[in-house]
Amino acid sequence: MSLIALPLVILWPAAILLALLDGRRRGPGMLAVAALAASFAALAVLLANVVADGPQDLVAGGWAADVGIRLRVDALGGVFAVVSCGVLLAALLQAVITGVQARVTPALTLFMALGLTGLFLTGDIFSFYVFFELSMISAYALTSARGGGRHVSAAFIFAVVNLVGSFLFLIAVGALYRATGTLEMQAVAERAAPIDPTTAIVIAITFFVAFGIKLGLFPFHFWLPSVYLAVPPHVAAMFAGALANIGAYGLLRFGAAILPSELALSAGALIAIGTVSIAYGALQAIARRDTREVLAYSSIGHAGYVLVAIGLGGPVGLAAAVIFSIANALNKTLLFLASELRGRLTATAFLVGALSVAGVPPTAGFFGKAALFEAGIDAGSIAAVVLLFVGGALSFVYLFQIYQHDRWRPRAEREREMPRGHASRGQRSVALTVAAVVLVLGLWPEPLLAIGEHAAGELLAGGAAR
Amino acid sequence: MNLLFALVIGVLFGSGVFLLLKPDLFRVVAGLVLISNAANLTLMASGLTRGLAPIGRAAGDERVADPLVQAMTLTALVIGFAVTALLLGLSVSVYRSRHSVDLDELSRQQAADAVRREAREAPHDEEHELDESDEQRVAYHEAPT
Repeated sequence: MSLIALPLVILWPAAILLALLDGRRRGPGMLAVAALAASFAALAVLLANVVADGPQDLVAGGWAADVGIRLRVDALGGVFAVVSCGVLLAALLQAVITGVQARVTPALTLFMALGLTGLFLTGDIFSFYVFFELSMISAYALTSARGGGRHVSAAFIFAVVNLVGSFLFLIAVGALYRATGTLEMQAVAERAAPIDPTTAIVIAITFFVAFGIKLGLFPFHFWLPSVYLAVPPHVAAMFAGALANIGAYGLLRFGAAILPSELALSAGALIAIGTVSIAYGALQAIARRDTREVLAYSSIGHAGYVLVAIGLGGPVGLAAAVIFSIANALNKTLLFLASELRGRLTATAFLVGALSVAGVPPTAGFFGKAALFEAGIDAGSIAAVVLLFVGGALSFVYLFQIYQHDRWRPRAEREREMPRGHASRGQRSVALTVAAVVLVLGLWPEPLLAIGEHAAGELLAGGAAR
Repeated sequence: MNLLFALVIGVLFGSGVFLLLKPDLFRVVAGLVLISNAANLTLMASGLTRGLAPIGRAAGDERVADPLVQAMTLTALVIGFAVTALLLGLSVSVYRSRHSVDLDELSRQQAADAVRREAREAPHDEEHELDESDEQRVAYHEAPT
C-alpha cells in the first residue's frame, strides 16, 4: 500500500473508535493526539517524497486508472495537508492538556483532520466534495459541542451559510462534469479549455462564491466573527488555522489549475474584492477590543491578501498565495492558542504571533508578506504594493492594541477578565512550540519558499500542459 | 426535457432561498433541504443519458446509461440527510435553551445576554467607557441576523 493512503487509514478507524469513547477522559484524548501525530508524521514524509520525486498517484481499490477514485498528492496539496494536520495537532494537544469540555471534541477533531487530509490528497472533484462536507460537518458539530444557546445559534448560522456554499459547489461540480465528462482533476483541467466561455465563467464564479464563503472573504464574511466568538480558543485556532485553508486551496486548485483562463479573465475583480476585504477586515479589527473578535476580523483581511496574490497570478503570485496562506495559518493558530493564557512566556508567544502577522522579521509572517510584495512588484502594480504596506501597518496597529489591552494592565484588572489562572507548563509549551515554529521558519525560510515555488510551478505546468 | 429540469431546479432553488430568508429556524432548515434537492437534481440532469443498465458487459455497441451521476446524487443525498438531521438537532437544542425558534427573538435575547455579561464584568470605575462598548456590541449582535 502506498504512503498516500496511510494518513487516512490511521485517522479513519481512530475517529470512529473515539466517537464511541468519552473524550473528556485523558486516555481517549491522548489516543486522538497520538493518531493525529502519526498521520502528521506520515504526511510530512509524504511531502518530502513529493518534493523530491514529483507528484504521486494511487487509484483506490486497485481499479483501472480511469475507473477508480484517484488519490493524488502534489506539493500544493501535500503542504496544505501537513500544515492543517499540524495545526489541528497543536490545537487538540492544547485542549487535552487544558481539559476537554465536550465528550465529542477529540473524535470531531479527528474527523475534521480526516476530511481535510482527504480533500487535500484527492484527485477527484466529487471526493473533494465528500471530504469537504466531512470536515465542515465536524466543524458545525464542534461549534455547538459545548451546548448553550449562544454556541448553538452561532453553529446554526455557521452551518446554514456554509451549506449554501457547499450546495453551490455541488452544482458547480455537476456543471463541470456536464461540460467535461469526467471528474478527475487532471482530465478536467485538460478538457476545460475548449468549453464554451460563457459556461466556463459561470462555473468559475460559482466555485469562487463557494470558496469565498469558506474563506470568509468580504461580501461573504458575515458568519465568521460570531462563530469565532462563540467557540473556545482552541476550536477557533482549528477554524482559522486549518479549516480556512480549504478556501485558499480550493481557489488555487479550481482556479489556477482547472480554470486558469477564467482566473486570468477575472483577475481585476479578484484584486478588487481582495482589496475591499483587506480594508474592511483591518478597519473593523481596529474598532474592536475583544481579542477573538479582532482576530476574526483580521482573518477576513488575510483572506483578502490570499485573493490579491491569486489575482496577481503568475509563478510569483501563486507562490506568494501559498506561502502567505501557510504563514497565516501558523500565525492565527499561535494567536488563538496564546490569547487566553496568562503569564510572561505566553505573552511572548503572543507577541511573536502578533509581529508575524504584522510581517516583522524574523518571523514566518515576514516572508509571507515579502512574497506578496514581490508578487506586487513583479506584476508592476504600485497600488498593490501600497495596499500591502497600508494593510501591514493597520494589522500592526490592531494587534498592538489588543496586546496592550490584554497584557499591559494592572494585574488585578486582568485577572478579573482572564480568570483561567496562570497557564500550566503543558499549555505554555504548546503555544511556545508553535511560536518556535514561526520563528524558525522566519530564520530559515528556504523550505517554505521552495515549497511555495514548487507548488506554483506545478499549478502552472498543469495549466500549460493543456 | 432540459427545459423541464431547468424549470424544476429553478423553482426549487428559488423557493429554498425564499424560505432561507424567513425568520424561523425550521423554515430555514426546510429552505436548505429544498436547495440541497435543487443541487441533487442539477447533478442528475448533468449526466442523464438513455441506455442499458450499466451492469456487466454491454452486448455489442448499444449505449449504456451513465452510472456516475446516479452514484454522485446518491452520495449527495446521504450527505444532505446527515446535514438536515444535524440542523434539526441544532434547532431543537436552540428551542430547548431559548424557548423560541424565531430568529428576531433569538437575536434580541442574545443582545440582552451580551449586555448582561458585559455589565457583570464591568468594573465600576470604568463605567462610562464600557457603556460605549455595550452599545457597539448590541449593534453588532443585531446586525448579522
